[in-house]
Amino acid sequence: MQKVVSISLNGNSYQLEEPGYEQLRAYLERADSRLKDSPDRAEVMADLEQAISEKCRATLSPHKTVVNTVEVERIISEMGPVESPDGKTADAGAEGATASSGASQGFTPPPRKRLYQIREGAMLSGVCNGIAAYLNVDVTWVRLAFVLLTIFTGVWIVVYLVMMCIVPVAYTAEDRAAAFGMPFNTEELISRAKKNFESFGHQYRWRREWRRQQRHWNRQFRHMNEQLRVATANAAPIASGAGRVISGVLVPIAAIVNAVIFVAFILAIFSLVTQHSIFGWDLPHHMPWWVGIVGLALAYSVIASVLRIARHSSHPGSYHPGWGALYGLLWLGSTVLLFWAAYTFFPGVHELVDQLMWAANLTATTISETIV
Amino acid sequence: MDPTEKLAPIRKGLLEFVILKIVAGDKVYVADMLKLLGPTEFATQEGTLYPLLSKLRREELVDYEWQESDAGPPRKYYKLTAKGRTQLSTLNDYWKNLNRTLAEFGN
Repeated sequence: MQKVVSISLNGNSYQLEEPGYEQLRAYLERADSRLKDSPDRAEVMADLEQAISEKCRATLSPHKTVVNTVEVERIISEMGPVESPDGKTADAGAEGATASSGASQGFTPPPRKRLYQIREGAMLSGVCNGIAAYLNVDVTWVRLAFVLLTIFTGVWIVVYLVMMCIVPVAYTAEDRAAAFGMPFNTEELISRAKKNFESFGHQYRWRREWRRQQRHWNRQFRHMNEQLRVATANAAPIASGAGRVISGVLVPIAAIVNAVIFVAFILAIFSLVTQHSIFGWDLPHHMPWWVGIVGLALAYSVIASVLRIARHSSHPGSYHPGWGALYGLLWLGSTVLLFWAAYTFFPGVHELVDQLMWAANLTATTISETIV
Repeated sequence: MDPTEKLAPIRKGLLEFVILKIVAGDKVYVADMLKLLGPTEFATQEGTLYPLLSKLRREELVDYEWQESDAGPPRKYYKLTAKGRTQLSTLNDYWKNLNRTLAEFGN
Protein backbone atom coordinates (compact mmCIF):
# COMPACT_ATOMS: atom_id res chain seq x y z
CA MET A 1 0.00 0.00 0.00
CA GLN A 2 1.26 3.43 -0.90
CA LYS A 3 0.24 6.84 0.32
CA VAL A 4 -0.94 9.07 -2.50
CA VAL A 5 -0.52 12.81 -2.87
CA SER A 6 -2.88 14.91 -4.95
CA ILE A 7 -1.23 17.61 -6.99
CA SER A 8 -2.30 20.21 -9.48
CA LEU A 9 -0.24 20.75 -12.61
CA ASN A 10 -1.26 23.77 -14.63
CA GLY A 11 -4.82 23.40 -13.50
CA ASN A 12 -5.12 19.62 -13.76
CA SER A 13 -5.22 17.35 -10.79
CA TYR A 14 -3.16 14.19 -10.53
CA GLN A 15 -2.55 11.59 -7.89
CA LEU A 16 1.04 10.62 -7.30
CA GLU A 17 2.57 8.06 -5.01
CA GLU A 18 4.32 9.89 -2.21
CA PRO A 19 7.96 9.11 -3.10
CA GLY A 20 7.20 10.10 -6.68
CA TYR A 21 5.62 13.31 -5.49
CA GLU A 22 8.76 14.14 -3.50
CA GLN A 23 10.95 13.58 -6.53
CA LEU A 24 8.76 15.71 -8.74
CA ARG A 25 8.66 18.45 -6.15
CA ALA A 26 12.46 18.37 -5.91
CA TYR A 27 12.73 18.48 -9.70
CA LEU A 28 10.44 21.49 -10.06
CA GLU A 29 12.09 23.25 -7.16
CA ARG A 30 15.48 22.78 -8.74
CA ALA A 31 14.14 23.96 -12.08
CA ASP A 32 12.72 27.03 -10.42
CA SER A 33 15.99 27.86 -8.70
CA ARG A 34 17.90 27.39 -11.96
CA LEU A 35 15.58 29.85 -13.66
CA LYS A 36 15.47 32.37 -10.88
CA ASP A 37 17.38 34.98 -12.87
CA SER A 38 15.56 34.32 -16.10
CA PRO A 39 12.86 36.76 -17.17
CA ASP A 40 10.97 33.77 -18.59
CA ARG A 41 10.84 31.95 -15.29
CA ALA A 42 7.05 31.94 -14.88
CA GLU A 43 6.44 30.98 -18.46
CA VAL A 44 8.98 28.17 -18.53
CA MET A 45 7.68 26.78 -15.25
CA ALA A 46 4.15 26.75 -16.66
CA ASP A 47 5.42 25.04 -19.83
CA LEU A 48 7.23 22.42 -17.81
CA GLU A 49 4.18 21.75 -15.67
CA GLN A 50 2.13 21.45 -18.80
CA ALA A 51 4.55 18.96 -20.31
CA ILE A 52 4.67 16.92 -17.11
CA SER A 53 0.92 17.05 -16.92
CA GLU A 54 0.63 15.58 -20.41
CA LYS A 55 3.11 12.86 -19.62
CA CYS A 56 1.21 12.01 -16.45
CA ARG A 57 -2.04 11.84 -18.33
CA ALA A 58 -0.51 9.39 -20.78
CA THR A 59 0.17 6.95 -17.94
CA LEU A 60 -3.44 6.91 -16.78
CA SER A 61 -6.37 4.89 -17.95
CA PRO A 62 -9.93 4.38 -16.72
CA HIS A 63 -8.65 1.63 -14.45
CA LYS A 64 -5.47 3.34 -13.37
CA THR A 65 -5.85 6.64 -11.56
CA VAL A 66 -2.50 6.97 -9.80
CA VAL A 67 0.87 7.85 -11.32
CA ASN A 68 3.35 5.56 -9.63
CA THR A 69 6.89 6.37 -8.57
CA VAL A 70 8.58 4.51 -11.42
CA GLU A 71 6.50 6.47 -13.91
CA VAL A 72 7.33 9.75 -12.22
CA GLU A 73 11.01 8.86 -12.36
CA ARG A 74 10.71 8.09 -16.05
CA ILE A 75 8.87 11.35 -16.70
CA ILE A 76 11.52 13.35 -14.86
CA SER A 77 14.31 11.67 -16.77
CA GLU A 78 12.47 12.38 -20.03
CA MET A 79 12.12 16.02 -19.13
CA GLY A 80 15.82 16.35 -18.50
CA PRO A 81 17.62 18.91 -16.39
CA VAL A 82 16.32 22.43 -16.76
CA GLU A 83 18.87 24.84 -18.10
CA SER A 84 18.57 28.53 -18.47
CA PRO A 85 19.88 29.38 -21.97
CA ASP A 86 21.15 32.70 -20.66
CA GLY A 87 24.12 30.90 -19.22
CA LYS A 88 25.17 30.77 -15.59
CA THR A 89 23.94 27.21 -15.27
CA ALA A 90 26.82 25.60 -17.09
CA ASP A 91 27.58 23.12 -14.34
CA ALA A 92 30.25 20.76 -15.48
CA GLY A 93 28.67 17.80 -17.13
CA ALA A 94 25.07 18.88 -16.73
CA GLU A 95 24.43 19.02 -20.41
CA GLY A 96 20.96 18.15 -21.54
CA ALA A 97 21.61 18.61 -25.23
CA THR A 98 23.58 15.42 -25.45
CA ALA A 99 21.16 13.29 -23.50
CA SER A 100 20.79 10.46 -25.95
CA SER A 101 17.02 10.00 -25.96
CA GLY A 102 17.33 7.28 -23.33
CA ALA A 103 16.10 7.16 -19.80
CA SER A 104 19.33 5.55 -18.69
CA GLN A 105 21.07 8.88 -19.07
CA GLY A 106 19.13 10.02 -16.02
CA PHE A 107 18.12 13.56 -15.32
CA THR A 108 20.36 14.17 -12.33
CA PRO A 109 23.43 16.13 -13.16
CA PRO A 110 26.47 14.54 -11.55
CA PRO A 111 25.88 14.79 -7.82
CA ARG A 112 26.16 18.39 -6.80
CA LYS A 113 26.85 18.67 -3.14
CA ARG A 114 24.21 20.58 -1.28
CA LEU A 115 23.51 21.34 2.30
CA TYR A 116 20.57 19.34 3.54
CA GLN A 117 19.14 18.27 6.83
CA ILE A 118 19.45 14.53 7.10
CA ARG A 119 16.85 13.02 9.39
CA GLU A 120 18.33 9.52 9.43
CA GLY A 121 20.37 9.17 12.60
CA ALA A 122 19.65 12.74 13.56
CA MET A 123 19.58 13.83 17.17
CA LEU A 124 17.42 16.89 16.76
CA SER A 125 16.63 17.89 13.23
CA GLY A 126 19.57 16.62 11.25
CA VAL A 127 21.31 19.94 10.73
CA CYS A 128 24.61 18.69 12.15
CA ASN A 129 24.18 15.47 10.23
CA GLY A 130 23.78 17.42 7.01
CA ILE A 131 26.77 19.63 7.72
CA ALA A 132 28.86 16.57 8.51
CA ALA A 133 27.84 14.98 5.22
CA TYR A 134 28.57 18.22 3.44
CA LEU A 135 32.00 18.68 5.02
CA ASN A 136 32.65 14.96 4.92
CA VAL A 137 33.59 14.73 8.59
CA ASP A 138 32.27 12.67 11.46
CA VAL A 139 29.00 14.02 12.81
CA THR A 140 30.29 13.91 16.39
CA TRP A 141 32.78 16.69 15.66
CA VAL A 142 30.12 18.90 14.16
CA ARG A 143 27.85 18.36 17.15
CA LEU A 144 30.71 19.06 19.52
CA ALA A 145 31.56 22.25 17.64
CA PHE A 146 27.96 23.37 17.80
CA VAL A 147 27.67 22.67 21.50
CA LEU A 148 30.94 24.43 22.31
CA LEU A 149 30.08 27.43 20.17
CA THR A 150 26.70 27.58 21.84
CA ILE A 151 28.32 27.54 25.23
CA PHE A 152 30.71 30.35 24.49
CA THR A 153 28.46 32.45 22.32
CA GLY A 154 24.80 31.87 23.00
CA VAL A 155 23.74 32.98 19.53
CA TRP A 156 24.74 29.65 18.01
CA ILE A 157 21.59 28.05 19.29
CA VAL A 158 19.77 30.65 17.21
CA VAL A 159 21.96 29.78 14.23
CA TYR A 160 20.92 26.17 14.66
CA LEU A 161 17.25 27.07 14.86
CA VAL A 162 17.50 29.26 11.79
CA MET A 163 19.24 26.50 9.87
CA MET A 164 16.54 24.12 11.02
CA CYS A 165 14.03 26.37 9.28
CA ILE A 166 15.85 27.25 6.09
CA VAL A 167 18.00 24.27 5.21
CA PRO A 168 15.93 21.88 3.11
CA VAL A 169 15.36 18.38 4.39
CA ALA A 170 16.71 15.54 2.29
CA TYR A 171 13.54 13.59 1.62
CA THR A 172 14.44 11.61 -1.45
CA ALA A 173 17.33 9.32 -2.10
CA GLU A 174 18.41 11.81 -4.72
CA ASP A 175 18.49 14.67 -2.20
CA ARG A 176 20.52 12.52 0.11
CA ALA A 177 22.96 11.80 -2.69
CA ALA A 178 23.22 15.52 -3.32
CA ALA A 179 23.83 16.10 0.36
CA PHE A 180 27.06 14.15 0.03
CA GLY A 181 28.22 15.39 -3.42
CA MET A 182 28.95 19.24 -4.67
CA PRO A 183 30.41 22.61 -3.88
CA PHE A 184 27.77 24.20 -1.75
CA ASN A 185 25.77 26.78 -3.63
CA THR A 186 24.97 29.61 -1.26
CA GLU A 187 22.89 31.41 -3.83
CA GLU A 188 20.51 28.55 -4.12
CA LEU A 189 20.25 28.17 -0.39
CA ILE A 190 19.43 31.82 0.05
CA SER A 191 16.88 31.81 -2.71
CA ARG A 192 15.29 28.73 -1.22
CA ALA A 193 15.22 30.29 2.19
CA LYS A 194 13.64 33.39 0.74
CA LYS A 195 11.06 31.31 -0.99
CA ASN A 196 10.20 29.34 2.10
CA PHE A 197 9.93 32.54 4.03
CA GLU A 198 7.71 34.08 1.40
CA SER A 199 5.38 31.15 1.26
CA PHE A 200 5.24 31.09 5.01
CA GLY A 201 4.28 34.73 4.95
CA HIS A 202 1.68 34.15 2.31
CA GLN A 203 0.13 31.33 4.16
CA TYR A 204 -0.25 32.87 7.53
CA ARG A 205 -0.02 36.61 7.00
CA TRP A 206 1.73 36.61 10.31
CA ARG A 207 4.35 39.13 9.31
CA ARG A 208 1.93 41.95 8.70
CA GLU A 209 0.08 41.04 11.84
CA TRP A 210 3.30 41.02 13.80
CA ARG A 211 4.39 44.43 12.48
CA ARG A 212 1.04 45.91 13.34
CA GLN A 213 1.30 44.53 16.85
CA GLN A 214 4.80 45.88 17.13
CA ARG A 215 3.76 49.36 16.09
CA HIS A 216 1.03 49.22 18.67
CA TRP A 217 3.47 48.27 21.39
CA ASN A 218 5.88 50.95 20.32
CA ARG A 219 3.18 53.58 20.54
CA GLN A 220 2.15 52.41 23.97
CA PHE A 221 5.69 52.34 25.19
CA ARG A 222 6.41 55.84 23.91
CA HIS A 223 3.27 57.13 25.53
CA MET A 224 4.17 55.53 28.85
CA ASN A 225 7.68 56.89 28.62
CA GLU A 226 6.40 60.37 28.01
CA GLN A 227 4.11 60.23 31.01
CA LEU A 228 6.86 58.94 33.19
CA ARG A 229 9.21 61.69 32.09
CA VAL A 230 6.65 64.31 32.97
CA ALA A 231 6.01 62.68 36.32
CA THR A 232 9.68 62.37 37.23
CA ALA A 233 10.60 65.81 35.91
CA ASN A 234 9.78 67.42 39.22
CA ALA A 235 11.64 64.96 41.36
CA ALA A 236 14.44 64.71 38.83
CA PRO A 237 17.40 66.04 40.81
CA ILE A 238 16.94 63.64 43.71
CA ALA A 239 15.83 60.67 41.61
CA SER A 240 18.66 60.91 39.10
CA GLY A 241 21.19 61.36 41.86
CA ALA A 242 19.97 58.28 43.65
CA GLY A 243 19.78 56.43 40.33
CA ARG A 244 23.37 57.23 39.54
CA VAL A 245 24.58 56.01 42.90
CA ILE A 246 22.64 52.77 42.58
CA SER A 247 23.84 52.14 39.04
CA GLY A 248 27.37 52.94 40.03
CA VAL A 249 27.22 50.25 42.69
CA LEU A 250 25.42 47.77 40.46
CA VAL A 251 27.77 47.79 37.50
CA PRO A 252 30.68 46.02 39.20
CA ILE A 253 28.31 43.66 41.02
CA ALA A 254 26.74 42.76 37.70
CA ALA A 255 30.15 41.98 36.28
CA ILE A 256 30.98 39.70 39.21
CA VAL A 257 27.65 37.91 39.09
CA ASN A 258 28.10 37.49 35.38
CA ALA A 259 31.44 35.81 35.91
CA VAL A 260 30.06 33.58 38.65
CA ILE A 261 27.17 32.49 36.46
CA PHE A 262 29.56 31.72 33.64
CA VAL A 263 31.73 29.54 35.90
CA ALA A 264 28.63 27.81 37.28
CA PHE A 265 27.49 27.18 33.75
CA ILE A 266 30.78 25.63 32.72
CA LEU A 267 30.78 23.42 35.83
CA ALA A 268 27.19 22.41 35.14
CA ILE A 269 28.14 21.34 31.63
CA PHE A 270 31.10 19.46 33.02
CA SER A 271 28.99 17.61 35.55
CA LEU A 272 26.39 16.90 32.92
CA VAL A 273 28.93 15.35 30.60
CA THR A 274 30.74 13.35 33.27
CA GLN A 275 27.85 12.27 35.50
CA HIS A 276 24.85 12.87 33.25
CA SER A 277 23.29 15.00 35.94
CA ILE A 278 23.51 18.65 36.86
CA PHE A 279 25.09 18.81 40.29
CA GLY A 280 23.32 15.66 41.40
CA TRP A 281 20.02 16.77 39.95
CA ASP A 282 19.01 14.11 37.47
CA LEU A 283 17.56 15.00 34.11
CA PRO A 284 13.93 14.04 33.55
CA HIS A 285 13.49 10.46 32.49
CA HIS A 286 14.41 9.58 28.89
CA MET A 287 16.01 12.95 28.29
CA PRO A 288 19.40 12.42 26.71
CA TRP A 289 22.24 14.38 28.31
CA TRP A 290 22.94 16.47 25.24
CA VAL A 291 19.43 17.89 25.44
CA GLY A 292 20.39 19.00 28.91
CA ILE A 293 23.40 20.76 27.45
CA VAL A 294 21.29 22.55 24.90
CA GLY A 295 18.85 23.51 27.65
CA LEU A 296 21.67 24.77 29.82
CA ALA A 297 23.12 26.77 26.95
CA LEU A 298 19.74 28.27 26.31
CA ALA A 299 19.23 29.13 29.96
CA TYR A 300 22.69 30.64 30.11
CA SER A 301 22.18 32.77 27.02
CA VAL A 302 18.89 34.00 28.42
CA ILE A 303 20.43 34.89 31.77
CA ALA A 304 23.44 36.43 30.07
CA SER A 305 21.30 38.58 27.81
CA VAL A 306 19.22 39.73 30.76
CA LEU A 307 22.47 40.62 32.51
CA ARG A 308 23.67 42.51 29.49
CA ILE A 309 20.47 44.50 29.31
CA ALA A 310 20.69 45.25 32.99
CA ARG A 311 24.27 46.39 32.67
CA HIS A 312 23.61 48.56 29.67
CA SER A 313 20.58 50.14 31.17
CA SER A 314 22.30 50.85 34.46
CA HIS A 315 25.09 52.54 32.57
CA PRO A 316 24.58 56.19 33.43
CA GLY A 317 23.89 58.41 30.47
CA SER A 318 22.59 55.90 27.99
CA TYR A 319 19.15 55.74 29.53
CA HIS A 320 17.28 57.76 32.03
CA PRO A 321 19.12 56.97 35.27
CA GLY A 322 15.83 56.27 37.01
CA TRP A 323 15.17 53.49 34.55
CA GLY A 324 18.64 52.11 34.99
CA ALA A 325 18.20 51.90 38.71
CA LEU A 326 14.82 50.26 38.33
CA TYR A 327 16.12 47.66 35.88
CA GLY A 328 19.16 47.08 38.01
CA LEU A 329 17.14 46.55 41.16
CA LEU A 330 14.73 44.26 39.35
CA TRP A 331 17.57 42.26 37.97
CA LEU A 332 19.43 42.06 41.26
CA GLY A 333 16.26 41.02 43.03
CA SER A 334 15.49 38.26 40.59
CA THR A 335 19.06 37.03 40.59
CA VAL A 336 19.17 36.86 44.36
CA LEU A 337 15.82 35.09 44.37
CA LEU A 338 16.97 32.59 41.77
CA PHE A 339 20.19 31.99 43.59
CA TRP A 340 18.44 31.51 46.88
CA ALA A 341 15.98 29.07 45.29
CA ALA A 342 18.80 27.12 43.69
CA TYR A 343 20.78 27.09 46.92
CA THR A 344 17.83 25.85 48.91
CA PHE A 345 16.28 23.33 46.56
CA PHE A 346 19.24 21.78 44.81
CA PRO A 347 21.78 20.16 47.11
CA GLY A 348 24.16 20.23 44.16
CA VAL A 349 24.13 23.99 44.03
CA HIS A 350 24.73 24.02 47.76
CA GLU A 351 27.76 21.84 47.27
CA LEU A 352 28.92 23.90 44.34
CA VAL A 353 28.81 27.08 46.35
CA ASP A 354 30.74 25.39 49.13
CA GLN A 355 33.29 24.16 46.62
CA LEU A 356 33.56 27.59 45.06
CA MET A 357 34.04 29.12 48.49
CA TRP A 358 36.69 26.58 49.22
CA ALA A 359 38.41 27.24 45.91
CA ALA A 360 38.23 30.97 46.48
CA ASN A 361 39.66 30.52 49.94
CA LEU A 362 42.46 28.40 48.60
CA THR A 363 43.28 30.96 45.92
CA ALA A 364 43.22 33.75 48.46
CA THR A 365 45.53 31.85 50.81
CA THR A 366 47.92 31.02 48.00
CA ILE A 367 48.01 34.62 46.85
CA SER A 368 48.57 35.97 50.36
CA GLU A 369 51.27 33.37 50.95
CA THR A 370 53.12 34.29 47.79
CA ILE A 371 52.91 37.95 48.65
CA VAL A 372 54.12 37.39 52.18
CA MET B 1 38.61 10.31 -27.47
CA ASP B 2 34.88 10.30 -27.98
CA PRO B 3 34.11 12.75 -30.81
CA THR B 4 30.55 13.33 -29.58
CA GLU B 5 31.96 14.43 -26.25
CA LYS B 6 34.45 16.81 -27.86
CA LEU B 7 31.89 18.62 -29.92
CA ALA B 8 29.18 18.69 -27.26
CA PRO B 9 29.49 22.47 -26.64
CA ILE B 10 29.22 23.11 -30.38
CA ARG B 11 26.09 21.00 -30.66
CA LYS B 12 24.67 22.82 -27.68
CA GLY B 13 25.40 26.18 -29.28
CA LEU B 14 23.91 25.05 -32.56
CA LEU B 15 20.65 24.00 -30.95
CA GLU B 16 19.19 27.48 -31.25
CA PHE B 17 20.03 27.49 -34.96
CA VAL B 18 18.44 24.07 -35.39
CA ILE B 19 15.28 25.17 -33.59
CA LEU B 20 14.96 28.21 -35.83
CA LYS B 21 15.27 25.90 -38.83
CA ILE B 22 12.55 23.62 -37.49
CA VAL B 23 10.05 26.34 -36.71
CA ALA B 24 10.76 27.95 -40.08
CA GLY B 25 8.54 25.28 -41.64
CA ASP B 26 5.06 24.67 -40.32
CA LYS B 27 3.86 25.56 -36.83
CA VAL B 28 5.30 23.03 -34.42
CA TYR B 29 4.40 21.67 -31.02
CA VAL B 30 7.23 21.04 -28.59
CA ALA B 31 6.58 17.31 -28.32
CA ASP B 32 6.84 17.09 -32.11
CA MET B 33 10.09 19.05 -32.09
CA LEU B 34 11.50 16.59 -29.59
CA LYS B 35 10.39 13.68 -31.71
CA LEU B 36 12.01 15.28 -34.71
CA LEU B 37 15.28 15.89 -32.90
CA GLY B 38 15.26 12.57 -31.04
CA PRO B 39 17.05 10.40 -33.62
CA THR B 40 19.53 13.15 -34.55
CA GLU B 41 22.71 14.43 -32.94
CA PHE B 42 20.61 17.26 -31.52
CA ALA B 43 18.42 15.05 -29.35
CA THR B 44 17.24 17.15 -26.44
CA GLN B 45 14.67 17.31 -23.69
CA GLU B 46 11.90 19.56 -22.44
CA GLY B 47 14.13 20.84 -19.68
CA THR B 48 16.40 22.39 -22.29
CA LEU B 49 13.90 23.20 -25.00
CA TYR B 50 11.31 25.19 -23.07
CA PRO B 51 13.77 27.68 -21.60
CA LEU B 52 15.37 28.07 -25.02
CA LEU B 53 12.03 28.69 -26.75
CA SER B 54 11.05 31.23 -24.12
CA LYS B 55 14.32 33.03 -24.71
CA LEU B 56 13.80 33.03 -28.48
CA ARG B 57 10.33 34.38 -27.97
CA ARG B 58 11.64 37.14 -25.74
CA GLU B 59 14.10 38.02 -28.50
CA GLU B 60 11.11 38.07 -30.87
CA LEU B 61 12.62 35.42 -33.15
CA VAL B 62 9.75 33.00 -32.63
CA ASP B 63 6.18 33.33 -31.52
CA TYR B 64 3.50 30.87 -30.57
CA GLU B 65 -0.22 30.51 -30.86
CA TRP B 66 -2.59 28.44 -28.82
CA GLN B 67 -4.27 25.58 -30.59
CA GLU B 68 -6.97 23.32 -29.27
CA SER B 69 -6.01 19.68 -29.00
CA ASP B 70 -8.31 16.69 -28.89
CA ALA B 71 -6.55 15.39 -25.79
CA GLY B 72 -6.29 17.84 -22.96
CA PRO B 73 -5.81 21.60 -22.78
CA PRO B 74 -4.75 23.85 -25.68
CA ARG B 75 -1.15 23.61 -26.81
CA LYS B 76 1.44 26.15 -27.81
CA TYR B 77 2.43 25.92 -31.44
CA TYR B 78 5.60 27.76 -32.30
CA LYS B 79 6.39 29.56 -35.53
CA LEU B 80 9.10 31.82 -36.88
CA THR B 81 8.64 35.61 -36.90
CA ALA B 82 9.89 37.96 -39.62
CA LYS B 83 12.79 38.94 -37.39
CA GLY B 84 13.51 35.28 -36.84
CA ARG B 85 13.57 34.68 -40.56
CA THR B 86 16.21 37.38 -41.04
CA GLN B 87 18.23 35.95 -38.19
CA LEU B 88 17.94 32.45 -39.66
CA SER B 89 19.24 33.54 -43.05
CA THR B 90 22.16 35.35 -41.39
CA LEU B 91 22.98 32.23 -39.43
CA ASN B 92 22.65 30.09 -42.56
CA ASP B 93 25.13 32.27 -44.40
CA TYR B 94 27.53 32.22 -41.51
CA TRP B 95 27.26 28.47 -41.22
CA LYS B 96 28.04 28.08 -44.94
CA ASN B 97 31.09 30.27 -44.49
CA LEU B 98 32.23 28.15 -41.61
CA ASN B 99 31.83 25.01 -43.69
CA ARG B 100 33.75 26.57 -46.54
CA THR B 101 36.57 27.56 -44.23
CA LEU B 102 36.68 24.07 -42.76
CA ALA B 103 36.79 22.60 -46.25
CA GLU B 104 39.63 24.92 -47.22
CA PHE B 105 41.77 23.52 -44.46
CA GLY B 106 41.47 20.15 -46.13
CA ASN B 107 40.52 16.79 -44.71
